[in-house]
Amino acid sequence: MLVACGRSEVAGRRGDFASLPVTGRPMLRVNSAHSPRRSGGVSACCLDPELVAFLARSTRLGDLLKSIFRVAVAQDPSPDGDSFPDVSGRYILFEDQVQFIPHFPFEAGVKYRATFDPGPLGVPGATDSLILDFSIPAERNASALTEVTHVFPSCDLLPENLLRFHVCFSNSMRRGRALEEISLLDSDGQPVADALYRPPVELWDRTMRHLTVLLDPGRLKRRLGPNLALGPPLKVGQKYTLEIGSGMTDRDGRALGKSFRKSFVVGDAVRSNISVENWNILPPATGTRQALVLMFANPLDWALLLRTITIESADGSVTDGRIAVDQCERRWSFTPGSPWIAGLYHIRVRSSLEDVCGNSITAAFDRPLRKGPNPVPEINDHSLIFRLI
Amino acid sequence: MSEKSVASGHSRRDVLRFAAASAVGLALPGGLSATSDAAVVDGGVSGPLRSAGVLAWGPNNVLFVGDIMGAKVHAFALQEKDLTPQRGVELGNFHNFEGRDLVPGLDRKLSALLGTTYDKIVVNDMVVHQPSQQIFMSVERGRGTDALPAIVKVNHGQLEILELNGIPHSQVSIPNEPDSKAMLEFDPQQMYAITDVKYYNGEIFVTGITNQRFASTLHRIPYPFNSNMATCTVEIWHPVHGEFETRAPIIRQLIRELNGEPYLFGVYGCTPLVRFPLSALKNGAHIRGDVIGELGYGANPLDMLTFTSPADSKEYLLVTIDTRSASQIAVSDLASEPPEPAGGGIDFGPGGLGRTQRALPVKAEHMAILNSKWAVLIWRHPRTQHRLDLSTLAMPYFFERKDGMSEMNWPNGPDPFHYGEHRKEIDYVGRMWPV
Repeated sequence: MLVACGRSEVAGRRGDFASLPVTGRPMLRVNSAHSPRRSGGVSACCLDPELVAFLARSTRLGDLLKSIFRVAVAQDPSPDGDSFPDVSGRYILFEDQVQFIPHFPFEAGVKYRATFDPGPLGVPGATDSLILDFSIPAERNASALTEVTHVFPSCDLLPENLLRFHVCFSNSMRRGRALEEISLLDSDGQPVADALYRPPVELWDRTMRHLTVLLDPGRLKRRLGPNLALGPPLKVGQKYTLEIGSGMTDRDGRALGKSFRKSFVVGDAVRSNISVENWNILPPATGTRQALVLMFANPLDWALLLRTITIESADGSVTDGRIAVDQCERRWSFTPGSPWIAGLYHIRVRSSLEDVCGNSITAAFDRPLRKGPNPVPEINDHSLIFRLI
Repeated sequence: MSEKSVASGHSRRDVLRFAAASAVGLALPGGLSATSDAAVVDGGVSGPLRSAGVLAWGPNNVLFVGDIMGAKVHAFALQEKDLTPQRGVELGNFHNFEGRDLVPGLDRKLSALLGTTYDKIVVNDMVVHQPSQQIFMSVERGRGTDALPAIVKVNHGQLEILELNGIPHSQVSIPNEPDSKAMLEFDPQQMYAITDVKYYNGEIFVTGITNQRFASTLHRIPYPFNSNMATCTVEIWHPVHGEFETRAPIIRQLIRELNGEPYLFGVYGCTPLVRFPLSALKNGAHIRGDVIGELGYGANPLDMLTFTSPADSKEYLLVTIDTRSASQIAVSDLASEPPEPAGGGIDFGPGGLGRTQRALPVKAEHMAILNSKWAVLIWRHPRTQHRLDLSTLAMPYFFERKDGMSEMNWPNGPDPFHYGEHRKEIDYVGRMWPV
């Protein structure tokens, strides 16, 4: 129990939880809450025995205590002289003290004033009035604050024509802060102008926990106006940092616990389509729940890897299971919900799968989608086959 | 499905608290408890509520509370001690359309009562207990998922917390609530899990969304609660959007008997007025409502209520709306209006009864009918930001004369409505800030 403040002569002092010796004279003190589920309270303690006896005899003790022991939010008076209610709570008479327990826990940072004035009761020896101003300090443990958990691609060496980052947060977020808070910095820590694309609507997923940040596609696609005028946004051999400022706000309107930085070095561009045929398939053993593993030559897009590859059995039904992506998005693992049974399986790859540069399984990002006048694009899904015996 | 938590009038928390009281404690009556442990678990006044949303009255002083975080509708059977007749409360100067502030600075007073600052106060709903004319509000302290719920009542201008822990209580779980992390484009889906609750003839009707494919849902639940819940999914043709819609929920509802048949009327966002015969609301049914009015695009309904006009004794539906005047529609038109045709293109309207609606100057965040002459509303003070007032508003014009500038307000000005005959009939203490 923390002793906050004392007798009438320290009236008006802020309740800073400084310990004071128990003097035997009446005093007000704040009882801290030991956990968020518990209410703290304010006690008028060391009360005169005659006063305690008087209170214990009262038939309308609740109303009586409401008038002599008041706890209120300290605020400027209403301009029109209107009065504000006291904090709602209940009282406990216990040994030589009366305790006030608010119906709703005292809130960190709010200033309260407790007053105890037994004078109107006319009990001899109990005439001192006590005042205690106090506030509850904010919780030091701020572990619940939202933070950036990952930025994809995970690799520290990224191609010159990198198209997008995925920024993952530990909670759902609010819109509207990405433009100000997310920037790409050069090796001197200076923002790189016009490198990030600023879409009219921030690109969040449905959970509002994942934000896609694009590099300017107009600068990435060779021969387009912005590319001709400004060149590509990233330069080979240079070091950059993607910074996510702590001013991003989560669903509850709170800022992030801290800002996040992802540094990387730029390597050569990748300008070819994803070659599914070259994927390395590590099949699991029949009768086990071992993971089926696919290994890729280059990092693929993290978000698309989670939803564009499915495993189908020979009859076309989709196998349930859990997908994991790791090793800098070069490895995709699928752990089935039930053990593998012998048979033929299709690894169905949607044509929407892309690598980190936006190269899809049908074409590279900055090459024409088709050759010749035929306007029909190739949108067929690809399929790989493996058999378990 | 139904869960009775209290039989005797004491909640489980209460029982635990009394059981924890030691022999050295002193048993105290009247809202006092005795215990040897000073840091006893509290929050008892919120009873079983995890959140406090829509409110509705049932028979025998039962107050229903929609609890989205708990995915439940609670029924609190209020006792005589919980209700105070509001005799003698000055409501305003009816002849002169001059209402009165029952609680000026409502948000600041609620924050003082709940021990917080006014920016943390959210008033979710307001209802009037007609026999006592006492006003009840569902309030939350805080805006996040850790907000604390409270039911607050007004007693002769003073705010009091309704202590739910001593009130006989039963509850019903609302199934298939949206996942707490699932988002719409701008809001968490959970926000719309329970949009409205209404009682009619031994049942409550609960509107909102579920996690099902046809998300817009209407539950029909017997009260007293038992396991017989009927759940329908609901769709409408929304002319303003030019499409059939199965996910956007009914935001407000109202149940009325017309020509001997009961109907549920619902209003959606952007704002179709829709009619469902109650007989169609059967368990497992997927029902399409008849759109009988497009009240105006881009608007969101706030309250849906009916009143009998003191002027012509006719009954009217009033739909208050966030962005513009309230809509008044004659109740007699609700049954006879033919449905708007479905399947056409986008039609920004207004359509159906929206074409003949009358606009009333209501700018309430919450409104309820108090008695045959007065409505009560929670509204933002016109000249002071961050100040909510709880005030009366004279029916049937819902016109507040004090807030307007007009020729009649000048000394010796004209008096076509005979205001002079009733001037200064009431005291406006607390109405105006001093200049």
